[in-house]
Amino acid sequence: MSDAAAVETMELEDYLARGGVLTSPLNVPARYRGELMRLMAAFVDSELAGSAGFADVINDAPGIKQRIAAARIVLEKADHAERVLDIMAEFGADRGRYAVHQPWGARIARDADIGPTRHGNDMRLSVFHYPLDGWTDAVVMNVLMGLATGVQLEELSNVSYAPLAEVFRAIAPIEARHAELGLEGLARIVETAEGRGQARESVSYWRPRVAATFGLAGSGRFETLRRFGLRHTPNGDLRAKWAFRLADELARAGLA
Amino acid sequence: MARFHPLEVTEVRRDTRDAVVVSLRPRDEDRAAFDFIQGQYLTFRREFDGEELRRSYSICAGKDDGVLRVGIKRVDGGAFSTWANENLEPGIVLEAMPPMGRFFTALDPSSEKHYLGFAGGSGITPVLSIIKTVLAREPASEFTLVYANRQISSIMFREELEDLKNLYLGRFSVLHILETEAQEIDLFTGRIDADKMNRLFDTWIDPTTIDTAFICGPEPMMLTIAESLRAHGVTDDRIKFELFASGQPGRAKRPAVSREAANRSGTARATITLDGATRTVDMPKEGQTLLEAALEHDLDAPFACKAGVCSTCRAKVLDGEVEMAVNHALEDYEVRQGYVLTCQCTPVTDTLVISYDQ
Repeated sequence: MSDAAAVETMELEDYLARGGVLTSPLNVPARYRGELMRLMAAFVDSELAGSAGFADVINDAPGIKQRIAAARIVLEKADHAERVLDIMAEFGADRGRYAVHQPWGARIARDADIGPTRHGNDMRLSVFHYPLDGWTDAVVMNVLMGLATGVQLEELSNVSYAPLAEVFRAIAPIEARHAELGLEGLARIVETAEGRGQARESVSYWRPRVAATFGLAGSGRFETLRRFGLRHTPNGDLRAKWAFRLADELARAGLA
Repeated sequence: MARFHPLEVTEVRRDTRDAVVVSLRPRDEDRAAFDFIQGQYLTFRREFDGEELRRSYSICAGKDDGVLRVGIKRVDGGAFSTWANENLEPGIVLEAMPPMGRFFTALDPSSEKHYLGFAGGSGITPVLSIIKTVLAREPASEFTLVYANRQISSIMFREELEDLKNLYLGRFSVLHILETEAQEIDLFTGRIDADKMNRLFDTWIDPTTIDTAFICGPEPMMLTIAESLRAHGVTDDRIKFELFASGQPGRAKRPAVSREAANRSGTARATITLDGATRTVDMPKEGQTLLEAALEHDLDAPFACKAGVCSTCRAKVLDGEVEMAVNHALEDYEVRQGYVLTCQCTPVTDTLVISYDQ
């Protein structure tokens, strides 16, 4: 890095639109900074809220393997939140205060309907405001949201802020493993008729709520994010990709 | 919160006509904090005319050089780099934050890797740090450097690179590309463009052997090289970038503050700019933050924690005065420049001009 390019430079938007990347807080313009921070906060808050929600489920696990799987998800999601929060801290965020500024375990009523909008004073995806209802429900939510996270991380692994893209690339396989753990748990649950029935109910509860996390089609903010290279694929396309993968997995589990 | 530490200048070596190489010594108690990773940079701060400027310069020393050293190239109109080139001498104390940056890969003494580095001008500084460290700590790895400059006299670290070639015979090679000086092979003359990259990969560098590529230079060069690397099968996760900080403003301007008599009751008229569009809103002086007023008027202002700890909602006050209830995220120098956390601000003056775009 150096004070400035001795050779030619180009307009930043042009650079970003052509796939250029930024690499440090000092070469990030103000509006880009705001959207980058918002994107990171949404991820950190969602991971912390997701981890907190799963913490309660550990004691519902029907066996040691499942208990380990749930505990691992709680641990690793908190770790992923920390890795992104570390980047926010390089922009000035107060790491210590941020980590406790919201009650991450707080949930709204199970039958409330808040749609895709943010709620309360944190940036977690709306789906993380709903409470889990026992082991089977937690496994199903983890499968649906795990697949969604996979799709989102594929998108986010190409964000134009290189240090963040690297963190997302490192996190993606671990998050994918969380979804696999969910699928393994689901395979056991659907071995019984009762389990299948419960799982079906949970699928119909979580499916629209997870779908809502992809945001609105034709969102104005998407255009801003696309200009900055912080997003590339429209919300609707990502949701369709998720729906396709989900249908595939549900068919495999006999829940189609 | 990032903290600044004193670094004493121990040596200043003129490298080219407009670049100096500066050796620095931290205090004993700060030694651990400045134990850098190859490819990282230091952020310095200094006051110019009562105003704080911050600039980042990459470390050019290798891990085993036993010294902290940065390269500073003078830039026309650049306050810090000009000052550093003209005034630095042993004994002067600078203030810097501990090393930052992720322009590196983890090293393993048993690796047999082929690294490819692209540097444009003073973009060589972090790449030199990587080259030295990799060659010393991965005895079976190789490094190829493609180094673009305007002319021979502007090549930074020219002798040092020659020495490295001799020291690591067969493991380190350099291809110099000079913009304005003709060379025997015409591939090595002119600017790096897509065609040059193709020919480089056709005849000089086998792209299938590359484990990791490092690129540091100005924006157009980064794009051209990254596009070509991808086209030749080097995936994004194997390309490391460090961008020149050309976006850094030469000098930050103080906000013009109009000193109206403070009147804490009634309403204020706030003019808010976001994404180039400006809107004027009337808001109460108490009970509503600037962020809330912006959101209420359908401005898609960025925010996250609403608790003054994350700084997502940062904006700049261009005129007027606000009161900030809580600030755990902005540093003093940002506040002096007029930056505020809009989630924590209420108007003090009757009129207010703020921008999220600056």
